[in-house]
Amino acid sequence: MSFEELLQVQSDRRTRVCKQVTGGKKTAKPAKATVKQQQSKKGPLEMSAKKPVPFLRQVVSVTKKVRRDPRFDDLSGEYKPEIFMRTYSFLDNIKKQEKEMIQKQLKKCRNVEQKEKLQQLLNRMIQQEQAQEKQQKLRERELSLKRKQRELAKQGKKPFFLKKSEKRKLELAEKYAELKRSGKLESFLNKKRKRNAIKDKRRLPSQKNL
Amino acid sequence: MPATGPGPFSHLECQLPAPRRREGAVLRYSHAWERGRGSPAHILLSLQVQPPHPASIRMLRGHQLPVTCLVISPDDRFIFSASKDGSLIKWEVESGKRLCVVPGGKKGTEERHMGHASHVLCMAISSDGKYLATGDRNKLIMIWDAATCKRLHIFTGHRDAVSGLSFRKGTHQLYSASHDRCVKVWNVAENAYVETLFGHQDVITGLDSLSRECCVTAGGRDGTVRLWKIPEESQLVFYGHQGSIDCIQLINEEHMVSGADDGSLALWGLTKKKPLALARQAHGMQDAQGLQQPYWISAVAALRNSDLLATGSHSASVKLWKCGEGFRKLEPLWDIPLVGFVNSLTFSAAGDFLVAGLGQEHRLGRWWRVKEAKNSICIIPLKRRAAAPSPEAPDSPEAPDSS
Repeated sequence: MSFEELLQVQSDRRTRVCKQVTGGKKTAKPAKATVKQQQSKKGPLEMSAKKPVPFLRQVVSVTKKVRRDPRFDDLSGEYKPEIFMRTYSFLDNIKKQEKEMIQKQLKKCRNVEQKEKLQQLLNRMIQQEQAQEKQQKLRERELSLKRKQRELAKQGKKPFFLKKSEKRKLELAEKYAELKRSGKLESFLNKKRKRNAIKDKRRLPSQKNL
Repeated sequence: MPATGPGPFSHLECQLPAPRRREGAVLRYSHAWERGRGSPAHILLSLQVQPPHPASIRMLRGHQLPVTCLVISPDDRFIFSASKDGSLIKWEVESGKRLCVVPGGKKGTEERHMGHASHVLCMAISSDGKYLATGDRNKLIMIWDAATCKRLHIFTGHRDAVSGLSFRKGTHQLYSASHDRCVKVWNVAENAYVETLFGHQDVITGLDSLSRECCVTAGGRDGTVRLWKIPEESQLVFYGHQGSIDCIQLINEEHMVSGADDGSLALWGLTKKKPLALARQAHGMQDAQGLQQPYWISAVAALRNSDLLATGSHSASVKLWKCGEGFRKLEPLWDIPLVGFVNSLTFSAAGDFLVAGLGQEHRLGRWWRVKEAKNSICIIPLKRRAAAPSPEAPDSPEAPDSS
């Protein structure tokens, strides 16, 4: 068959639907995968073969990594200190081990600078531990107060709630008891007196203003 | 079959191309071809074929570098093979002699050299045995006269290596596929370019066609097999392989088989978008220094209009498979031991022998090198048992005694 006949046969064979699809008219709706969905969903997808594939094309499907922040994610639930402490209690053991490691290194170390750094690190760890313990005590106190209130309520008496000032007084009383036990009450009271004295001195009129 | 008017072969007996039948060959094709469909009621050839004797496998050497592709002439008398060094050899099947050798040129001699100057990736021969087409990594398609091996024409136009070629049966229309992701249609008799088809998202690794004006392509890493309907300018997209699809062949007008580099072999039908049958790790697992992966399937061949398939890899054997009923199952039959990368496999038209193109490396790259292999082509005779004929064949089969 000559070339002209071939072209003619080809143009005759193009169905109306195909012409619409491959026509490239701007008025037609631009659809990516087209028209002929008359076949069942299990059949192969039929597409136009005349649209050139763009350079920026997707060869293999890449799934986007879903990133989530557990602090703000609903999946993590509400923060409950007791549950948190229970599940992450293994971290306390690790912290203890690290503290021991640093103490050993400190003993072995000769270099002055490094010794200073290690000492600072050790202090930081100790202070973190102490802060943790303080917070733990606070929480326990709160819990005990609540438990008392609940018992009172159960027994039928009216539950009373302490004011903030009363709470502070109680705390102070406990602190004094603690200091007395360890024997540092005197030094603590002296320091406090000095601080108060300095503050009061600032309030007094100075010699200039006389 | 669509009637296309007076074609180049209309002076021959019928519009459907038929193979040259030698005396005493089994009447195998007429029923399936007249019906025009690959229905499962055709002769179960796979049950008749016997494993060959290892001594009867002939190995013909002549190429310097791994053989990448080969074709058998439609009369089953000649084999054309090409390799990574760009050389082209015409072999005679009976004697195993080299009739024509077109040597490959070195890189940089493209202008003056009569031949290819880079890896030849694909070949095709027209069904009247007149034209031979070869495609290489320099984006060229060369048309040769099959009888004399003289170069007739060069087609340029592809923008990257040409990786698939096939003639439409009964015509001189050539389909070519390339690493630039497009399929081009050429008319060899008039040395003309016809059109381009787009759609693949990654390099095209294989192409095949039969007598319809359609071709199928394997799309490498984009994981699709596409059937191109050229007169309607549309494509059918099939998914289902994981891994890069490296080779594809049509079994009949309705079914095709493809192989991937994750070792899976898939059988496709035109009505379903997923494969009808999938055989995973068809050649087993390889243990290359701790990296365990399945053997890549580097070549696949189908005996047209029958249910026999052959797959090749570098697992030291060519495996033969049988397609189950309705092409819904894949059953392994037996192995033929061959050392090296099987880069190309073709059945002869009459089903008498299988030709494998072997090499020390994969045809597309140098991931591994099998030192024990020889760069050669192997002719494997397929003897047929003198079994009782299946109800379709009117003649009684006489097993031809192939050498």
